[in-house]
Amino acid sequence: MAPHYGAASQRPSLQTADLRHAVSRRDVRRAWRWQNAGVLSAVPRKKPFPRQCAPGRALPCLLALVLVACGDRPVPAPAPDAELPAAEGIKTFHHSLDAAPSSLDPVQASNVYANHVVLNAYDTLFAYQYLARPYRLKPNLAAGWPEISADLLRYRIRIKPGVRFQDDPAFPGGKGREVVAEDVVYSLKRQFDPKNRPQGAWFWQGRIVGLDAWKEAGSDYDREVPGLRALNRYTIEVRLTRPYPQLLDTFAQGYSAVVPREAAEHYGPELGIHPVGSGPFKVVSYDTSRIVFERNPYFRQEPVDLAAEGYDPATQRYTGVERIAGRSPPFVDRLIIDFASDEASRWNSFTKGNEIQVAGLPVEKVDEVLESRDPLRLKPEYAARWQAASGTEAGFVFETFNLDFPEFGYHPDPVRAQRNKALRCAIIKAFDWEAHNQSWFFGLGNIFPGIIPPVVPEFDPTLSRASVTHDPEGARRLLAENGWTAEQLPVLVYGQMAGVRSRMFFEQFRAQLMEIGWPQRKLVLKQYATFGDISRAWKESRLPLIVKGWGLDYPDAENTLQLFYGPNGSPGSNDANYRNPEFDRLYEQASVMLPSPERTELYRRMNQMVIDDCVAITGMSRKRIHLWHNNVVALPDREIVGGFFLRYVDVLPPGESARPAEAGG
Amino acid sequence: MDVLRFALRKLLAGVPLILGVTLLSFTLMVHFGPDRTFELLGKNPTTEQIAELRHQLGYDQPFLLRYGQYLRELLTLDFGHSDATGEKVASLLARSIPVSLALVLPGFVLGNLLGVALALLAASCRGRWPDRLIMAAAVFGMSISFLVVIFVFQIWFCTSHGLDLFPVRGWGMADVPDYLRHVTVPTLAVVFVALGYNTRFYRAVIVEEMERDHVRTARAFGSPPLRLFCRDILKNCAIPIITRITFTIPAIVIGGALLLETSFGIPGAGKVTYEAIISGDQPVLKAVVGLTAMLFVAALLVADILYRVVDPRVSLE
Repeated sequence: MAPHYGAASQRPSLQTADLRHAVSRRDVRRAWRWQNAGVLSAVPRKKPFPRQCAPGRALPCLLALVLVACGDRPVPAPAPDAELPAAEGIKTFHHSLDAAPSSLDPVQASNVYANHVVLNAYDTLFAYQYLARPYRLKPNLAAGWPEISADLLRYRIRIKPGVRFQDDPAFPGGKGREVVAEDVVYSLKRQFDPKNRPQGAWFWQGRIVGLDAWKEAGSDYDREVPGLRALNRYTIEVRLTRPYPQLLDTFAQGYSAVVPREAAEHYGPELGIHPVGSGPFKVVSYDTSRIVFERNPYFRQEPVDLAAEGYDPATQRYTGVERIAGRSPPFVDRLIIDFASDEASRWNSFTKGNEIQVAGLPVEKVDEVLESRDPLRLKPEYAARWQAASGTEAGFVFETFNLDFPEFGYHPDPVRAQRNKALRCAIIKAFDWEAHNQSWFFGLGNIFPGIIPPVVPEFDPTLSRASVTHDPEGARRLLAENGWTAEQLPVLVYGQMAGVRSRMFFEQFRAQLMEIGWPQRKLVLKQYATFGDISRAWKESRLPLIVKGWGLDYPDAENTLQLFYGPNGSPGSNDANYRNPEFDRLYEQASVMLPSPERTELYRRMNQMVIDDCVAITGMSRKRIHLWHNNVVALPDREIVGGFFLRYVDVLPPGESARPAEAGG
Repeated sequence: MDVLRFALRKLLAGVPLILGVTLLSFTLMVHFGPDRTFELLGKNPTTEQIAELRHQLGYDQPFLLRYGQYLRELLTLDFGHSDATGEKVASLLARSIPVSLALVLPGFVLGNLLGVALALLAASCRGRWPDRLIMAAAVFGMSISFLVVIFVFQIWFCTSHGLDLFPVRGWGMADVPDYLRHVTVPTLAVVFVALGYNTRFYRAVIVEEMERDHVRTARAFGSPPLRLFCRDILKNCAIPIITRITFTIPAIVIGGALLLETSFGIPGAGKVTYEAIISGDQPVLKAVVGLTAMLFVAALLVADILYRVVDPRVSLE
C-alpha cells in the first residue's frame, strides 16, 4: 500500500524527515517493523546508556529517576527516532478513550465510548459537521435533506446509491452488498425488538406510526410498520404521530446506525463484537483494552468541503485541517483506539510520543502543562510537541431534589409545601459552585443558572446568576423566615457512586450545609458500588437528592428540558419527579415546534420555572482539554460530533507539524 | 491404580465443595450483586420496559430454577453469552485466559525460583549479613504497594522520563521478541512484589527443615553441602512449596492480574472478571466462579498426588 499523505508526494519523504533528526533510515525501518508488530517503542538508540545510568548502577539510578520522574518537571521530549506515526505504507492513528464500550451493537450504543466506535464501523443517515460550533447536522448516508410534509408528519429520506457494506462472512460469498433503504428500516426496527436489549428506543417511542404496535405484535421483521417503510431501493418514508423536530438528530446517533440483516442474523448476540457496517473503518480486532480498525476500502469517495463542515479559519486554522480539503476520508489506514481507564497509564503513553496520539489533559496536570487557561495556551516546551483545544461539555452536572419525598418536595399541606420550597431554595443558596469548580475542576467548568447548558443555541447568557451564587447568609435567612430550625431540618441522604472523589464531593456539600446550620448528623452519604445500583435507586425513586451528570444526545435544549417533564417521572428520566402542569403544557407545545425564536422563548420560560421552583442545584458544564501530537491533523471532539471526527484525522510524517507556520506558535 | 482410585475419590469429594461454592456465590450474585437491568436500560425507561428487560435477563425466574440452570451450564461448560458484550462466555475466557497466563506465568515462575534460591542462601547464612540483607530487602519489597511498583516501573522502563525501552501499553505474542517486549516490565513488577513474600516463606520452611535431627546427623556424618540441600532439606521442604504453588495457580488462571492488565492495557482475564463483577454480568461471573471452584478441586488433587510423589510416606488413603 502506498503512503497516504494526500498531496503527499510534496511532503518530505521519510528519509528527509529522518535526516533532520540525524537518525538513519535503517533505524526507522527497524522501528517501523516493531510498530507493525504492535510494538510501539523500541528504536535502537544511537546513544549508549548514560554513564550515570549504566546497568551496574541500576538501583541508585532507579531511585534517582523515580524522584526526578515524580517531581514537578516538564515531560521531556521523546527521542525523535521513537516517533513513528507513518512508514512503510501503513498510516496509523492511535486514539484513546478513558473507558471501553461494553457492546458494539448499535442498539446498545448508549454512551460516548460505544458511540465513538459504532460511528466508525457503521453509517448513519445524518451526522454532525466536523468543525461547526455550535454543532450542525449534515446528510451522511442520506443523499440530501429529507422531503418533509407541511404538517411535519412525513419525512422522505433518500440514501446514497452505491454505498457498500464491508465484506464479511455474514454475506453470501463473504462480499458486502449495497446498502438499501430496507436496511435503514430494519435497523430502526431492531430498537423495538426486546431480544436485542435495545437502549435507544425511547427516541422513537410513541413517535413513529405503528412502531410500538409492531413491537407489541411480537417484533416480526417481515411485518411492515406503516410509519417506517422503504418506498423503493433508496427511499425511506417515516410517518410520525406528531411533529418531532429532533428526528433528524436521532438519525445521527449510533443507535440508528445501519446494520445489515444478514449480519444481525448471522452473529446474533455476538453482533456486539462483530460490527458489520458501511462506515469508514472496519474492525479487525477488539478486546477489553483496544480496538483496531482498518480503512474500509469500499467507503464512498466524498472529498471534504471545509466550508460545508463549518470550518472557521480564524479559530481553527491552527489545527491544520486545511490539509484535508478536497480529499476523501478516511485518511489513515489503521485506527487504534486504546481503552485506557488508568489515567496515569494513558498519560505516560501519550507523553511517550509514539503510542497514544490524543489524550485528555488530566486535571492534576493543568498547571504543569498550561501557560494560560483562558485563552488556552500550552507552555512553550509542550507547544513544540502538542496541540490543544478545549471544549465545554455537551451536558452538565447538577443535583436534583426528588420532589416525591415529602420532607423536601410535594406535600399535601400547602403551608408545608411552601416551607419545603424555601428549604430547597436555601440549599441552593448554600451550594458554592465556585468552590466546587475550583476544588475539583481547576476552575475550568462553566457555571450557569438553570438547565439549558451553554452548548445549545437556546442558552441565555443574560439570565440572572442568583441561583448559582453562593449566599449562605441568604440561605440562613430563608430558613429562619420559614420556621426551619436545626431540630426540624430533615435528614438529607446524598446518594453517590462509591469512590474517594464522590466522598470528597459530599464532604464539601456537607460543610456548606453545616454553614447554614444543618446538623452534621442529618447529612448522610449513601454510596453505591456500581452505576446499575445507583441507577436503580434513581429509577425506584429511593433517593431524596440525586447527584448526576447528563450528556446531551443532540444539541437541542429539549433534551435537558425533558428531564423535568412530568410524564417522564420515575422510572423515566425526570428523577426529580417534578410535576408542574404549566411546564408540561409548554414542553408539549415546544416539543412539536421547529427551532425558532418562539420556541426558544418557551424553552427559556420552562428553564425559569425550574429555577423559580428550586427543583435543582444547577448547573455546571465541565470543560475538557484535548491534547494531540503536532503531526496529527485533527480537531478532536467527544461531545456531539464524537466518533465522527475520526474519519477526518490525518497523520503527518514524524517531525512534521500540522500547525501552519502562519498560525503562530 | 491406587492413584486413579484416589483421584476419583478426591474428585467426588470435590463435588460438595463445588456445590457449596457455587450456591453461596450464586446467592450473593442474585441478591447482592449489581442488577444489570439498570445498566442496560435506556435513558427514559418505562415500568414495562424494566419488566421486559428483567425477563430477558431471566431475573424473574425462581431462584432454584436459575441455580439449576447454572449447574447445568457448569456441567456442559456452556455459559451462554455475556450480558455485556454478547460474546460467548467460553470464547471470551478462551481468549483472555491464555493472555493472563502468558502475562503472569513468567513472573510467577521466576518469583518462586528466585524466592527458593534466595531463601536457601539466607537460610544457609542464617544470622549473618547475607541473611539479614536478603530479609531486609524482602521486607522492603513487601512493604511497597503493587500499584506503586507498577507505576514506578512503567515510568522507568517505558517512558521518556526513564529508559524508554518498552511500550507503555499494549500486548502482543506475534513472536518471541514481541512477547518479550510486552511481558518484561509486568514480569519485573510481579517478581519485585512476589519475591519478598516468597523468600520469607521459603526461608522459614527451609530453616525449620535445617534444624531437624536427620539433617544435623547427616551434616555430622560429613554429607556434602549440595547433597545435604538437595536430598535432605529441599526435598523435605517440597510439601509446603507445592502447597503454595498449586493453590496460587487457579487464581492466576482466572483472576489474572487486574492491576497489570489495567495499567499496561492487556486484555487478560483479570479485567474481564473485574468488569463482570462491577457490571453484574452474571453469565461471565458464573463461569468464573464455577471454573475457579473446579480448578481448586483440581489443584487439591494435584497437590495431594505430588505430596505422594515427593514423600512416599504420605498415604493416598
